[in-house]
Amino acid sequence: MNKKLEDTLDQLYEIEGVEACLLYRIDGVPITIRVPGFREHLLETMFWLEKHIKHVLKEMNREGLKETIFYFRNNRILIAPSSKSTVLVAITKGESNQQLVSLETLRATKIICNCVS
Amino acid sequence: MKHGRVLTGIYGLDDLMDGGFRENTVNLVYGGPGVGKTTFALQYSLFGLDRGEKVLYVSFEMSEQQIIRDCSDMGWGAIKDHIDEGNMKIIHIFGEDLAFPSLDIAEIIKKTMPGHNLRIVIDPFTYPTFYSDKEKRKSLSTIFQDLRKLGTTVVVVEEPADGSTSYNYAGPGDIPTRISATPLYLSDTVLFLQNLGFGEMYDRTIRIMKHRGSKHGEAIYPFSIETGLGIVLRASEKQIERVIPKTKYDERFKEALKKVKAMGKQGVNLSARIEALRKNWVHDEDPLQILDLVLEEEKKGYEQET
Repeated sequence: MNKKLEDTLDQLYEIEGVEACLLYRIDGVPITIRVPGFREHLLETMFWLEKHIKHVLKEMNREGLKETIFYFRNNRILIAPSSKSTVLVAITKGESNQQLVSLETLRATKIICNCVS
Repeated sequence: MKHGRVLTGIYGLDDLMDGGFRENTVNLVYGGPGVGKTTFALQYSLFGLDRGEKVLYVSFEMSEQQIIRDCSDMGWGAIKDHIDEGNMKIIHIFGEDLAFPSLDIAEIIKKTMPGHNLRIVIDPFTYPTFYSDKEKRKSLSTIFQDLRKLGTTVVVVEEPADGSTSYNYAGPGDIPTRISATPLYLSDTVLFLQNLGFGEMYDRTIRIMKHRGSKHGEAIYPFSIETGLGIVLRASEKQIERVIPKTKYDERFKEALKKVKAMGKQGVNLSARIEALRKNWVHDEDPLQILDLVLEEEKKGYEQET
């Protein structure tokens, strides 16, 4: 089960334009991450996510949203809850194929849900 | 088994903790209600008992009968046999009854079970509230020092259920209140157990927040509590891989060591440190950048000295 989860993240990370993908627990604790070594702007985003993810999720839940997108500098941050206690985040470059990334991220959330539930 | 280590008995944990607890240390298991702290403590005890070790269990809450009953329900009926044979002693006292805990606890343990290299459990560690903060730290430090002389201790510490000292994420600035945090600072290892309560894989997790003098996994590891077994960690292969030292960069380290040797006396000390780094290099990334930085910085001092 764990392997399938890790493989799912690997596959998402391999898509062109995906700079990082991260699986968080709803309290902001990172479960498993795929990031390319040290990138200052990614680190800033990760700190922000750890601190704010639970508030973002609360708002998403209130508004009934399945996904939400933030733009930080040249990055697009897609946040999609993947189960009752996990949330998947895909960080992409501005010029990447956003539609493909969105579809693949949502597909990944379903697999993750099966893995962790 | 690594020398100087005490196996925790928690399935899957020792590999992530450089082989287990260090001998003669105080190790904290910290978490809210129902996360599995007592299960951890009993599993640690049973593992030692099955290998001929002696266990002293100081219970500030459950009586001996309650502990035996809980163990029996878990499929650990063997605990009763160990108690009957005198390999395990359970002391049931109330923390509030100890006038001078720093003196009392060690003395009680020594009188009840003389000897060294014991497995000691204190469950849960309730602490008198009448001391001032300064006295508390000193008194606690004394207790821990005494415990280190007697054996390897697991101390169970409760996280308040109201979340007033929430330790959700051990990040910078996310520090619990001083009263609750003092044992965390003074102990050698801190294991943080959590249960979010949704019944999903990552709801029940363990995090090695601190493990002095040892390399350890830095992720959160899901676990389950299985009847008959106790706590079983479900770390992924990748997570385990991340704590295994890598040898693929040995050439890089050898090159660095050659440069270091040319630095004379200062180089001797530095080469020992770089050798230690080589043995414990768990990262997938090339150490070149770090080695270059270290050599450059160390050279500055060397040049000044010469």
